[in-house]
Amino acid sequence: MNDEMEIIVNGHKETVPAGSTLSYLIHHFKEHDRDLIVEHNGRFVYSRRYNEISVREGDIIEFINPNFGG
Amino acid sequence: MVIQSISPEEAVRYNRQLILPEIAPEGQIKLKQARVLIAGAGGLGSVSAYYLAAAGVGSIRIADSDCVDAGNLNRQILHGTGDIGKAKTLSALEKLRNLNPYCNVEPIQEFITDGNILDMAEDCAVILDGTDNLKVRKILNRASILKGIPLVYGGVEGFSGMVTTFIPGRTSCLECLFSWDNGQKEENGIIGPVPGMIGSIQSMEAIKLILGIGKLLTNKLLVFNGMGISFRKIEIEKNPDCPVCGSNADICSFMKPANKTTK
Repeated sequence: MNDEMEIIVNGHKETVPAGSTLSYLIHHFKEHDRDLIVEHNGRFVYSRRYNEISVREGDIIEFINPNFGG
Repeated sequence: MVIQSISPEEAVRYNRQLILPEIAPEGQIKLKQARVLIAGAGGLGSVSAYYLAAAGVGSIRIADSDCVDAGNLNRQILHGTGDIGKAKTLSALEKLRNLNPYCNVEPIQEFITDGNILDMAEDCAVILDGTDNLKVRKILNRASILKGIPLVYGGVEGFSGMVTTFIPGRTSCLECLFSWDNGQKEENGIIGPVPGMIGSIQSMEAIKLILGIGKLLTNKLLVFNGMGISFRKIEIEKNPDCPVCGSNADICSFMKPANKTTK
């Protein structure tokens, strides 16, 4: 089993440790904004699941800062 | 008063939508019977108010506590140079009345609070979110759930915007998605066409909700990026742990009782 895998983060190919959780990726990509939502393969992920969801090779992640202006 | 017909003058005005079989005179009467609450007469509210008034929504209740500032005019198309210093809801009333005198505009020049939102939302078919901070959005969300009124969220910043429709009891709610506290209203950059896009989509959702037609933007968060002109839909589902609409939530504990007296 490879130690690394390739995923797409915010539209860019990235190499990360195999089995990385969303929590790890948020830290790794320095997405420290409190106003952060995470999209994993087209689905919205609730923050309480960041620790338990591991990403797989080829997964698509978007870190999004929601818009609250009007 | 129950509205059962539209006048010949209105038939001319609305001709191009009356000939749509999905609307027809029956739909036009539904629009005329409807009242919509537009929370905020800024960038988003300007656009949705114009389109809903133009479409013949019978009553538009528009709430905002601000006055028009020159810095609003790059995007808040309800207001013009001559309105600087004027209450935004008065400026809205004048523009919308000029656009469509058949639309009854109810301006509420007040800050939206836990204490006044339930009265504001009374008899409204839809709540359109045109606010500029998460704190007031949460107030709208709780009123939406308590009164069973759909809420169409819109938010904009820079070159991007988001929009989705929440139906109480059927879909996730705003606080399923945005549960954290962010009371700060920050002054972020914004270019006018972004609220133009998002406000238009919000008014489209309101029209479909009133008419009961089409497919609503529910359980999907639409993310618009103006730089690349991309539209993406993110699948969302109800959060079982949501503090407001989840199975253990006590919604009533969030709202102070409506209190009309002021100190």
